Amino acid sequence: MGQCLLKGNRAVELGMKIVKQNPKAVETAVRVLKRGGLVIYPTETLYGVGVKATNPQAVLKLNAYKKRPFGKPYSVAVADQKMAEKYVFLNQTARNLYREFLPGPVTVVSAGKHKVAPGVESENGTLGIRIPKYKLVIEIVKKLRVPITATSANASYQKRPYQISDILENISEKQKSLLDLIVDAGKLPPHEPSTVIDTTLDDPAILRQGEVRLKDKNEILSRSKENTQNLAKELFQKYEGYLGQRPIVFALEGEMGAGKTQFTKGLGKVLGIKEEIVSPTFNLILEYGELAHIDVWRLENPQELEILGFLKMIEDKNKVVAIEWAEKVAEAIRKYRGQAIIIWVKIKYGKNPNDRLISWGAL
Amino acid sequence: MKILAIDTSCDETAAAVTENTKVLSNIVWSQASQHAKWGGVMPSLAQRMHRERIDFVVQKAISTSRRAPFTIDAIAVTVGPGLAIALEVGISKAKELAAQYHKPLIAVNHIEGHLLSPLARPRNYKFPMLGLVVSGGNTQFILIEKIGKYKVLAQTVDDALGEALDKAARLLGLGYPGGAILEKFAREGNPKAYSLPIPLIEDKIKNRFSYSGLKTAFVRLIEKEKPLTKEKICNLAASFQEAAFKHIENVLSYQINHLPLTINHLLLGGGVANNNLLRAKLQKLLRARGITLHVPYAKKLCGDNAAMVGVAAYFKAQRKEFVKDFNSLDREPRMKLA
Repeated sequence: MGQCLLKGNRAVELGMKIVKQNPKAVETAVRVLKRGGLVIYPTETLYGVGVKATNPQAVLKLNAYKKRPFGKPYSVAVADQKMAEKYVFLNQTARNLYREFLPGPVTVVSAGKHKVAPGVESENGTLGIRIPKYKLVIEIVKKLRVPITATSANASYQKRPYQISDILENISEKQKSLLDLIVDAGKLPPHEPSTVIDTTLDDPAILRQGEVRLKDKNEILSRSKENTQNLAKELFQKYEGYLGQRPIVFALEGEMGAGKTQFTKGLGKVLGIKEEIVSPTFNLILEYGELAHIDVWRLENPQELEILGFLKMIEDKNKVVAIEWAEKVAEAIRKYRGQAIIIWVKIKYGKNPNDRLISWGAL
Repeated sequence: MKILAIDTSCDETAAAVTENTKVLSNIVWSQASQHAKWGGVMPSLAQRMHRERIDFVVQKAISTSRRAPFTIDAIAVTVGPGLAIALEVGISKAKELAAQYHKPLIAVNHIEGHLLSPLARPRNYKFPMLGLVVSGGNTQFILIEKIGKYKVLAQTVDDALGEALDKAARLLGLGYPGGAILEKFAREGNPKAYSLPIPLIEDKIKNRFSYSGLKTAFVRLIEKEKPLTKEKICNLAASFQEAAFKHIENVLSYQINHLPLTINHLLLGGGVANNNLLRAKLQKLLRARGITLHVPYAKKLCGDNAAMVGVAAYFKAQRKEFVKDFNSLDREPRMKLA
């Protein structure tokens, strides 16, 4: 391996090299990374620890160094957007973010192409990409022609590393023995870690899933929140007779701000629920007696609807369930067509600010 | 008194050790730290995840606190409000630990945790006080007659403030949850660039919050402004925050003016308490009324965490409010503060 530029007992004892940041550091780092080594390097935020992201052995070594609990993925550093696109699918949101922020202290999470070593992408197959605004890292990655992991150089839950001593003072001898090279750029300015943005929720591929066809189609124009609530009331009354034999599911589809929660407020009123019906986006599910109000926008896959207890809910033949962003779990809902009355409600923005076109039909 | 506290109310798996109101350790395994410091935010729902992480997080809280497990005096756990299947994981772990170490168990309301989070550092205060909890799941303005005795003066009828900010960010193409990044953009924007409707300005009695109307107006405005440039995004972000916070200010000033009580202190908690603009605006509003604003001393105490649960539990322990029968302790997803 490269020449040890910083003389010192410590470096020799540990069998690791510490080099000052200099023109040769790039070559040294690339050589070490190619051999599956573990390199600590400076960035515009913190010191990071990198291994070749496509080398499974190296990633295992990194896991051991980081003392990572099971299932924690790593972000990777690439040289430019072109390289990023070899490893992830970029949607429009991601492209916007790349244009505005990268290179820079932002990690953009996208759907991965599964071209990195196991354990780098998340369990859901997403991958966080960073293009550091730091010449040394860009040069290393360019020369290596493969992304390197971009995780902070501390072990999980330890102090944020702004200088090499922050790292070395907080790791065990065993961890030290796993390090192959440290590129020392002295004390870094205390910047926050990068901001992480998940763009996969905006992926049209997910939102398009399960185009819904209705048996009978009805449509009205709602002119106000009250109109929307009233429609909910009337629709409920139309199907109310089934309660006791089968539960009723209102699958609500519509853009943000369309009035899905307003519709559910109408259901709350007709069911005589005194409590305020509020948005379930954060909590995923809010139950008010016989009414369950679910928001699946944050769910990553349709199976999670069942984890939320949807099955158990519709075993109760007196239950009324409202599901916001139903189009994301259309398949999962469709499965229960025989067991529950499913009313699909689509809400679209109309011409005037308060106008909504609402269509519905039984599934 | 040393308390081991657990919170699994929603996405975060959290455990902490507190001594009286002092925080000895505060471990949060959040979606945001799932890819560690540089990683991704994954709002994946996961009882399974909580189960996989809870032991690790509890162990980490104990070891970081540098206290031996047997020196812990009580176990505290969030029982609501939150996601039932998530709450369950924390509750059963807390029961197990309380039984194993023969310690009393304290059931805590997550919102009370946020509310009392500024008290994790010694403060001078006197009752009655006010409290404002602004997070992804809650927006509540609270009268604190004394600790444990609360009256909700105003709360949201649709979206929570944190949720509204996250959704605004998402509408601007900034991903989710983007409340924090929205604030960054807003700093470079002009808050007066666009005029958005201040929610519920027509309310004579201001005793509720609402963000659905503002959200809809924002959707419309963005449609009109497309294609978005960075300058537009900054201005839109700034204008949205302006309207969203003005609404908070309006409700607070109305309520403070109409309270037949002298108030000198307000506690601010919840994830949005990290927003510097909101802090500055509240500071200004309150100072003019002789009220001191108390905010949590660390960023980590604002978002969901267990140290705040330990702090709230300490006050409950002082009042001897322990769980009498472990078996009857159940999750309360829609738990109310008062």
